[in-house]
Amino acid sequence: MTALVVGMGAVASIGGNTVEFFDSLCAGYSGLAELRGFDRSRYRAQHAYEIDDRPAPGCDETLRASRWLEQAVAAALADAGLDEDLGDTPVLIGTTLRELRSVELSWRDGVPFDVRDLHFGTALRKRFGATDTHTVANACSASLYTLGLGMDLLEIGAADTVVVAGVDTITESTYGLLDRCYPEAPEQVRPFDRDRRGMLQGEGAVAVVLRREADGPGPGHRHARVRGVAMNCDAYHPSAPDAKSIALVTREAHRRAGVEPADVDLLMLHGTGTALNDEAEAQAVREVFSGVAPSPYMTAIKSMTGHTAGASGLHSLVVAVEALRSGVVPPILNLENPIDEVDGFRLVREHAELATLRVAQVDSFGFGGLNAVAIVEKVS
Amino acid sequence: MAPVDVVVSGVGVAVSGIAGPDDLLRRTPAGADGDDPARRLTGKGLRYKDRATRLALCAGRDALADAGLLGDPGLTVPGETVGVVVSSNYGNVDTICDTVSTIAEETYVGLSPMALPATASNVIASWLAIWFRLRGANLTMCNGSTSGLDAVNWGRLLLLAGRVDRVLVVGVEPANAPVRHLVSGGRSNGEDDLRLFDGAAALVLESASAVRDRGVEALAELGPYARKADQPAAVAAIRRTDPRPVDMWFGAGAGGPDGMTEQTSHDLTTYHGHCSGALGVLQCVAGTAWLSGHDRGAVLATSDGDGSDAAAALLLTVGGGR
Repeated sequence: MTALVVGMGAVASIGGNTVEFFDSLCAGYSGLAELRGFDRSRYRAQHAYEIDDRPAPGCDETLRASRWLEQAVAAALADAGLDEDLGDTPVLIGTTLRELRSVELSWRDGVPFDVRDLHFGTALRKRFGATDTHTVANACSASLYTLGLGMDLLEIGAADTVVVAGVDTITESTYGLLDRCYPEAPEQVRPFDRDRRGMLQGEGAVAVVLRREADGPGPGHRHARVRGVAMNCDAYHPSAPDAKSIALVTREAHRRAGVEPADVDLLMLHGTGTALNDEAEAQAVREVFSGVAPSPYMTAIKSMTGHTAGASGLHSLVVAVEALRSGVVPPILNLENPIDEVDGFRLVREHAELATLRVAQVDSFGFGGLNAVAIVEKVS
Repeated sequence: MAPVDVVVSGVGVAVSGIAGPDDLLRRTPAGADGDDPARRLTGKGLRYKDRATRLALCAGRDALADAGLLGDPGLTVPGETVGVVVSSNYGNVDTICDTVSTIAEETYVGLSPMALPATASNVIASWLAIWFRLRGANLTMCNGSTSGLDAVNWGRLLLLAGRVDRVLVVGVEPANAPVRHLVSGGRSNGEDDLRLFDGAAALVLESASAVRDRGVEALAELGPYARKADQPAAVAAIRRTDPRPVDMWFGAGAGGPDGMTEQTSHDLTTYHGHCSGALGVLQCVAGTAWLSGHDRGAVLATSDGDGSDAAAALLLTVGGGR
């Protein structure tokens, strides 16, 4: 079964809609800035890729993630030619941290917070009348996992239209623990560079409206075709990735999509700029694409968006769709001395490149060894 | 795609004062003075695991063993064929709150790096996968009051979509000061009448044919599920799909199935407190226990949508294996 992407919406530090988002990436514009919402004296790291929408510098507020999610879903529905009354249409929201930033503000600072807003169904019911909503907390592969689950709902006939989404804000607890874990504080995200120090978090939301292609013409655009999504679990380590398991899920995605490695023209790497991810991902790519020359074009967006966690998988998918359509591949920034493991990979660096593209692969991996890989195709 | 019957092949429970699923049918408080169920699990690797994870491992192990899937050692089936779906709303709230308190007092330097995985809300499902080597699709539903029933249905969807051959579904919530703060809006001090559930329930879902092939018993069969604006709408959606009489209702509030009496309904929150994300799985485990004692019948589990964004309902019937 294939599905069409008929509507998209995206919000991040680098743009408030899909056009700004993609144009910023192609122009090499990064959302990196000094920390805005936290007390900087508590941390060694000082940077992040935040959305600059707080009421005042250093002053944080609750429910920012819910607000961006609503913005992304509204944009995707408008793009798909659907009205805002969702009713029984399933909405699957991938997230790592839910509204846990609001919980932090409530617990530590006594800011009022209603527990019913911890999952996103409450906000989506109020705004869109949505009743079939599902908050899927699948770490940093969450929104690509929801893409796979959305495809399943279409395939088994449980729905005709599905909204899949992702959202995350930065929590102090995760920011502080990452700061504690890295030997040196990262000042920027440098995927696949020898001097990478780790990831910095980013904020954002994304939503995609899917329809079964076999159902024929309908409202909205024909942005791209989703050919297949695979997902698995390493069952190996709570935070470290496993290259073998990533290779397995990639092959499974190719099998579901009916493509061979040589068919893939563009690879949207997960590329977090951590020591472990970049090594494991490169090893898996090397294994699966061995013998494919030249390699697919490869890029990774986190050098400009930061790690948008639960939103990152679908953020990459939106970029893949725009790249397939426009033939422009945004670059990886800050990649000066690539690691040995990516030797021979056709990485797009520093400047966007023009390319003729038909099939794209999107990688998304998360804590707990949660892996998801999607294959999307240009619609002529 | 051909319809597939999905059945429950194993159940487990980890609640203080509850020896097994049958005890969930007792109409008395569980008794918080029982042994801590998390202490049933011993061995290396338990350090640094939060309470919700420990409770989930206990209930999950019992459910896998009940389904005949635990060999000595390891699984009796390939790990890639087993998925995991966890439901929990408050599982890692304690880690989040403890961490920001430490940052406020000591800066990031005071933190233990071992707490990092538990900042992500999928940590329970992740440890279940590692502990039992379950490599299939792995989901964590944090979906409010309907989360447990939603998780059971997502387990079924993973089977119907052909992603895995069997799924371990676990509903779990821990009771602690940060959860109490969150649930009460900062108003409960622990000496009032807010009772929080502290425990886990688990079940294994498989296709009816997979259960037959393995030669084990189908304990219950999953019927229709619905997530709707409120409880009357969710129950009506089930009745339209499967109008058979309901013999036992696990739920409470307005708009349940018609004709239910005190004898034919169980409100598990009366005996076990505010169950949140664990409730739906706990209801299904209790419902399976009830069906095990009967030759025929149907059990309806509902999450009362009162004050929530939605309500859910799920029907269980006697398994085809008997």
